Amino acid sequence: MTTLNRAWGHLTLTGKVVIPLLFLALVVGPIVTIFLATVVGPWLADVLGANPEIVRFVVAITGVLLFSIPAAFIIIYMELKVIAFMNLRIGPDRVGPKGALHSVVAGLKVLTKEDFTPTGADRLVFTWAPVIVFLTAVMVFLVIPFGPGLVGQDLNIGLLYLFAVGGMTVVGLLLAGWSSFNKYSLLGGLRSAAQVISYEIPLTLSVVGLILLAGTMSVYKIAEAQQGWFTDWYVFRQPLGALIFFIAATAEANRTPFDLTEADSEIVAGFATEYSGMRFGFLFFAEYVNVFIISALMTTLFFGAWNAPIDINSILARVGLSPVSVSLDPGSLGIGLLILLLVAPVLLTLIFAAPFYLSRSSRPAWQALVLGFLVFNLVGVMLLGLLAYIGWPWMAGLTWFMLKSFLFVYVFVWMRGTFPRVRIDQLMGFAWKWLLPAALLNLFVTAAAIIIVKS
Amino acid sequence: MTTPGKPHQHPSADDPRIMLDDQIGQFEAVPPYPPRTEREAEFYSLRDGEMFLNMGPQHPSTHGVLRVVLKINGEQVVDLDPVLGYLHRGVEKLCENSDYHHIISQVDPLEYVSSLFMEWAPVMAFEKLLDVEVPRRAEYIRVLTGELLRVSSHVLFQGWMALDLGGLAPILYSFIERDEIVEMLAAITGQRMLFNYFRIGGVNGDLNHEFMSRLGDWMSRAAKQHEANIGLLNENEIFVRRMRGIGRLDAAMALRMGASGPNIRASGVPFDVRRAHPYSVYPELEFDIPTRGGNGGGDSLDRYLLRLDEVSQSIRIIDQCLHNMPDGPIMARLPRLLRPRPGRAWAAVEAPRGLYGTYAISDGTDQPFRMKIHDPSFVHLQLVGLLMKNNLIADTMAVMASLDPVMGGIDK
Amino acid sequence: MDRALRTRLEARFADSLTGPVRQRHDETEIRIRPADVVEVLRALHDDAGLEFAVLADLCGVDTGTHMQVVYHLWSAETPDWLRVVADGMPREDPRCPSLTGLWPGAEWMEREAYDMFGIVFEGNRDLRRIYMPPDYTSFPLRKDFYLADDAARSPGGGVRHMEQTHAPVQATQGAVRRTAKA
Repeated sequence: MTTLNRAWGHLTLTGKVVIPLLFLALVVGPIVTIFLATVVGPWLADVLGANPEIVRFVVAITGVLLFSIPAAFIIIYMELKVIAFMNLRIGPDRVGPKGALHSVVAGLKVLTKEDFTPTGADRLVFTWAPVIVFLTAVMVFLVIPFGPGLVGQDLNIGLLYLFAVGGMTVVGLLLAGWSSFNKYSLLGGLRSAAQVISYEIPLTLSVVGLILLAGTMSVYKIAEAQQGWFTDWYVFRQPLGALIFFIAATAEANRTPFDLTEADSEIVAGFATEYSGMRFGFLFFAEYVNVFIISALMTTLFFGAWNAPIDINSILARVGLSPVSVSLDPGSLGIGLLILLLVAPVLLTLIFAAPFYLSRSSRPAWQALVLGFLVFNLVGVMLLGLLAYIGWPWMAGLTWFMLKSFLFVYVFVWMRGTFPRVRIDQLMGFAWKWLLPAALLNLFVTAAAIIIVKS
Repeated sequence: MTTPGKPHQHPSADDPRIMLDDQIGQFEAVPPYPPRTEREAEFYSLRDGEMFLNMGPQHPSTHGVLRVVLKINGEQVVDLDPVLGYLHRGVEKLCENSDYHHIISQVDPLEYVSSLFMEWAPVMAFEKLLDVEVPRRAEYIRVLTGELLRVSSHVLFQGWMALDLGGLAPILYSFIERDEIVEMLAAITGQRMLFNYFRIGGVNGDLNHEFMSRLGDWMSRAAKQHEANIGLLNENEIFVRRMRGIGRLDAAMALRMGASGPNIRASGVPFDVRRAHPYSVYPELEFDIPTRGGNGGGDSLDRYLLRLDEVSQSIRIIDQCLHNMPDGPIMARLPRLLRPRPGRAWAAVEAPRGLYGTYAISDGTDQPFRMKIHDPSFVHLQLVGLLMKNNLIADTMAVMASLDPVMGGIDK
Repeated sequence: MDRALRTRLEARFADSLTGPVRQRHDETEIRIRPADVVEVLRALHDDAGLEFAVLADLCGVDTGTHMQVVYHLWSAETPDWLRVVADGMPREDPRCPSLTGLWPGAEWMEREAYDMFGIVFEGNRDLRRIYMPPDYTSFPLRKDFYLADDAARSPGGGVRHMEQTHAPVQATQGAVRRTAKA
């Protein structure tokens, strides 16, 4: 008892508060957990079970939001590395293997920078403008189908929603430029407003032809309609529309050659000049999320979304074989499953280690075993991936979607490393005098063709 | 200097360094005193719809520390006023207090991109004051290294031009080219950038094996590399559209403004100091003076293309120098302490940016009495205001980059 | 050394020259009074046979006893550089007519001469300082310029503690370095 008294005397004030609380938590904790598990748990499960749609929606949204950050990270890393290789440089290569963790560290960096509001800036608007930009960028993810069945919400006015929400980004940019109390930001904001508004029209018009062809505004159904071979993709039926969409989307996302809103050789950083810290992080990430979105849109609308270019099942059907499918039933092995799980890794490691061990006489055995284990892991992952691809259609769809989207991201990054910037009057002239008539022409020709074909 | 342990003292309200709420909005580019000259009054008075935009000393594209005050009406630049002095180092005053030999290293950082030319004109002026004859081998080496540096400077100009217009890749290609040449020059001068190579009466070191082998490598690839450089940006539609018709300078105005070098040759006037007032061994060498923009004057695209033309001429000159290189000493014999006769001398060379001249007055002591440096970029920066009438902000960059200014020389 | 140029200049500007036409190496030098600058240079620019179209340099010189403005010109008609020295301006109030009517490009060169020496060019629309800050009070390249004195009068004096390291020094210390026949 005296030891306890003495120990209590040695504690600081903080200690005297925290230690008793810890003891309380140790005692109360299990009781609370049991209560939650027995009483609250089933009730919660009942409520959720009664509304599967809401659950699905919430899960989808969470998934999509969580995905947008890593996607931005990947795209930032790609941009830095790809442009570096185009410039005959190396790019980031310190953090992580070949600099792969560079964007993560950049994200941490913006979190730790001083977050101040410049004197004279409108504080409320200054704080909320990047939020608007980021939100409107991410909200577009709701309707983009990542695979068959993998869509946030299959709105039947999906395309309209897309352009409406995506067009609100300009509000955020304008607010950011105006509220910064800086002439460079003002110029950048105004330029961006003019640019986005001008290119909004060809962008929307270029997909109206697509809507006519597909008969629906739902992005999911447009993606579904491109099933089959790659000749079914809409790019072959609407080549002009695809081209106009590509150019207008580049301008919408403020990418080179249309990046004069952030032209850093003229107006320093445009609308983002006065931003630092996490607010700048929002704007920065919003730009890259935008890049992913326009790539995803390009893929979804014109390049078949999640569909593979060749339809293996139709080839097999023509030959006479049944479609590829996989039906695994590991439970039927019974005790054999346990033996398999214990024996297979060891055996396969040894088998894969053997060539390494035998090929070089100076290699120690443990090194060969490690290498063998690595190869076993690689092979295992590849096999599992293949199984997933064949077995789950959404897995195959997701793979193809990501592949195609990132291919377009690569194209956008490539354009950034290659082209100089256009001037504001050349940009506006191009939108109003060339893209708009071209989009209208596309629309008329499509409509006429539909009527002729139908009759 | 804060004492450690002392809490941070917030400045009081009457400290002129802090700005109170009612002073917000008084940050203008307008100077805080009444206008002193006609032009200042004209420039710093705003009409309806105009505002000042300050492209301040810290800016990614002003070729150094240059402040340009733009008076803009929306996106259109109505007038502009360059403000200099951020890189002013008092080189002329320093030269007055330096020995004649020391001046060569003082004068290098003027146009740090092409510093051998910055040494050449003072050295020529001093040689006139001392009545020294430079050995022929030294003259040929001077021409050879000078023309190499001209190629490097023009290729770097190409990259800068693209960078100011938004293309991020060509500057790196330019630096690859420049790196090769600069390594070559480092083999004989010992320095990659501020060479300190020319001496009064000759040059510092003779050509050596490393230089010759690097030069041979480079020459074997030079013509093809030049073709590639030309093709890099000439056919890029965006690039050409940004430069064509922007900043048109006609011949008469160019002469009146004192322009020289590629800027005046792109306006159709074939004025090149190497032919107009031949110096060194240029009379013996065969090369052409390319000009562009015959009728109506030259625009930014002409200035860009002309510098590419000049690179091929420089390669020709380098070839001839290599073939005709005489043997002999590389330095005239001079006393270590130089005391030229009292008098005045002027010498001018064709630097990559234009006519670069030195006026030296000697009073018989070992330090010059006055040394005036005439830098071409200084004169060309006046042209920006002239050429920018009613163009857009983005064209400011195109025009300024096409005039190829280097702030070191402008601010001395 | 172009003898023909010398005879031409002596014939044309007989009454404006204040000294003999000097020639050395490839330069010809004439001396005139500051008041005649515009007239002489206009004649040099316009006259057939002279046609000095390129103004290569314009600089100020402080000879210790008086101020000069020196012009360097180039013409396609002669292989020499021509140097025109406008000599004899008093050091207290050096004034010279401006060349900006003939060569608009002389504006900044005159601004530099004003900034460094205090030479006032009458007719220059924009005669303000070009290198030094606008409220600078000395002229740096003059022979009686003394740095420490100048620093104590700098615009930031009194606010930034680094500028209080020494008290202002008398201007007579180490003033006129030397005079020379220039």
